[in-house]
Amino acid sequence: MDKKIDSIIQDRFLYQCLECGKCTAVCPRRLTGKEYSPRLLVHKVIVEREDEAFIENAVWECLTCEICSEHCPSGVQFSGFILEMRELLAETKGLKGYRAHDGAIHSWMRMMTAPELKQNRLDWVTDDLKTASQGDVAYFVGCAPYFDIFFAGIEVDTLAIARDSIRLLNFLDIQPVLIPDERCCGHDLLWTGDRENFERLQKLNYKTFKDAGIREVIVSCPECYQILSEYMPKVIPGFDLKITLLLDLIQKEVHKGGTAFEPLKRRTTFQDPCRLSRMLDRSAGPRDLLTRIPDMRFAEMEHSGRNAICCGNSAFINCDAHSKQIQVQRLQEAKSTGADLLVTACPKCMIHLTCAMRDRLKQGNLKMEIRDLMSVLADQIKPYGG
Amino acid sequence: MKKVRLLGICCNWSPFACYNAAGMAQMKMPDNFRLIRVMCIGRINQALILRAFEYGADGVILLECNDEDCRYGPGPEIGHENVNRVRKLLHLLGIDQERLVEKSFAAHEREELVSALWDFVGKIEALGPVTEQEASAKYASLGIADDVTDTTRIAEFPPRRK
Repeated sequence: MDKKIDSIIQDRFLYQCLECGKCTAVCPRRLTGKEYSPRLLVHKVIVEREDEAFIENAVWECLTCEICSEHCPSGVQFSGFILEMRELLAETKGLKGYRAHDGAIHSWMRMMTAPELKQNRLDWVTDDLKTASQGDVAYFVGCAPYFDIFFAGIEVDTLAIARDSIRLLNFLDIQPVLIPDERCCGHDLLWTGDRENFERLQKLNYKTFKDAGIREVIVSCPECYQILSEYMPKVIPGFDLKITLLLDLIQKEVHKGGTAFEPLKRRTTFQDPCRLSRMLDRSAGPRDLLTRIPDMRFAEMEHSGRNAICCGNSAFINCDAHSKQIQVQRLQEAKSTGADLLVTACPKCMIHLTCAMRDRLKQGNLKMEIRDLMSVLADQIKPYGG
Repeated sequence: MKKVRLLGICCNWSPFACYNAAGMAQMKMPDNFRLIRVMCIGRINQALILRAFEYGADGVILLECNDEDCRYGPGPEIGHENVNRVRKLLHLLGIDQERLVEKSFAAHEREELVSALWDFVGKIEALGPVTEQEASAKYASLGIADDVTDTTRIAEFPPRRK
């Protein structure tokens, strides 16, 4: 175990830590008053490894939003370190960390590892969406149908993201295949240290794509995209699928010309999902597209782009009072821009921020309309001159 | 017939009173299911029901009070809502919605409870196990025993006199 920790420290450049403490100063957990310090964790894991309780706690409490690495002057890969430590700790000491919603989300992900599973996940497809039963290009729906049921209580419509993404693809003359047996991308299992089931999902998903004759998978969710494009190739030898982020595709098409946007008289702001803006470095894309919409006034929040603050939670673990505090602060920032429409690009940001808006103590004064970028674009896009 | 794994989740008040009374009267009850007693069915949420299926249950029955009898107020209503949502999730996962059963009882209905249990057992045995795969091996590390037919394991119930 010690040797493994040594190699993780080496691989993730922890020895280069200068102990400047910038990571702790920007950590959203710390900013909301929690006794949490990435710097101290790095220090302990290098020189005070006997303080196992502290290390274990700190490893499971991280939000993995990667804002610390953004500010680190020596390039310590903190989220990568957390990921590998969680895998190691899960192997040796068991899965820990407080699971939000009593772990229901992780439950259905694990249930999806059954090879003979026959899901009924496409009931939401309406007639106006043009999809193909066979073809090269698939659209990866992800967990949207599950979230739609599970989070019905907070009135968040995650399936709208899937429908609007398909409408956008139809607009671009693409009729995607929807695979009835695709499984969850496994993001949350990976980031909670369950490597075994994560790999099982990757293998099953890859086989499903291959069996359906798919060559290109289009993904709208940044988390799914990160997993399919970065982590799946590491699990599957000879990986040869093309993974496309829908945002990139639309940006490319819009740059080619031939499309325009209907005017939308709203004042908007954008919540950057951590996976999209920092891990995938695509914070410019949404702004490029949003600012093309005529009549829309786009305002940046105090923390935006690669510097944006997390939506309070990741991989559905460790949701606590501090997470709520982060969400409330984030919504207050959004409110103070004067915006009446909050756009985001990740279903989880949407779920978490919607949940915080319903906080009874705030008496509804955090309420604002929240929509996914794909929904906004699908409503406004039109052919040039049309 | 293949062995099925069944779980009952029982409210401490009316249904458990029935269960207790049925036991006292030495009524014959199915022995291939495990019972978990909770203070109120309102304590159970979507995640816990789903977890039972994740850990390899082939059928789950929620035994609860009638709506107007709840000691705490909204218990059974919360139960209905959870069952509703979990059924939809089960449908998505391709698991038969009928594997999740919800029944309510008044405190004196011991015969009804026993016959409901027998119906439940019969229904799930007819449907068979959810998967062919042996879930027990997968979850052995979690300390979940394989043998659910061992009657002494059921709740806090003493073994019946023969």
